[in-house]
Amino acid sequence: MSRSGADRVKIVREAIDTAALARQVRADEDGAVATFDGCVRNHSHGRATLYLEYQAYEAMALAKMNEIAAQVREKFSIDRVAIVHRLGRLEIGETSVFIAVSSAHRAAAFDACRYAIDTLKKTVPIWKKEFFADGAVWADGELPPIPAETPAAKPASN
Amino acid sequence: MVVKVLYFGRLKELSGTTEEAVELREGARIEDLFAACAATRPDLRKFRASLVAARNQEFAAWDTQLLAGDEIGFLPPVSGG
Repeated sequence: MSRSGADRVKIVREAIDTAALARQVRADEDGAVATFDGCVRNHSHGRATLYLEYQAYEAMALAKMNEIAAQVREKFSIDRVAIVHRLGRLEIGETSVFIAVSSAHRAAAFDACRYAIDTLKKTVPIWKKEFFADGAVWADGELPPIPAETPAAKPASN
Repeated sequence: MVVKVLYFGRLKELSGTTEEAVELREGARIEDLFAACAATRPDLRKFRASLVAARNQEFAAWDTQLLAGDEIGFLPPVSGG
């Protein structure tokens, strides 16, 4: 039994209430809730991180996160899913992304949760800048798959 | 025709703007738009191989034909999570 109306897909600028989300996906039909809590680490490539800043192509990011929720429903036998990403400045230890999935049995919850975070990291247009004591860099990211060029496309005429 | 271009991440810093309106000839493709944007910002060109384009919030091939009013995003490798 799925209730996509109960899905929570959001982009926020304040702290994510992870406990509340884990509670909200849970219903009496569920035997399992799997969660992924992505948090700000204090180091990157051997350098001490001070804080992170996240920015997004917000409308597209939200659309892509909703697509992931729909894919998760299609591929796995789950009950509810929550996907929340935070933007702005985040301090060490704070949650940047939280995913919670409920299902009758644990395998589907684990698999769906893993699929959701892996797909988010590859396809959702959000960017992270890492700030160090001696500078800042945009994190190496992943290039989303580019749709194939149109086979019939002709070179643009000038 | 006029389309809207959005810059993100390092491209936003490089181009010094979040968005701009660009005038193109009818039938222009995303590739042509990028060339037009890079014409005044040569630094942009070296990022071409590591960018993905989005047209109206969907990933799009570089040879996609544009229509007036389209919103085009040039997206660096994504690093959310």
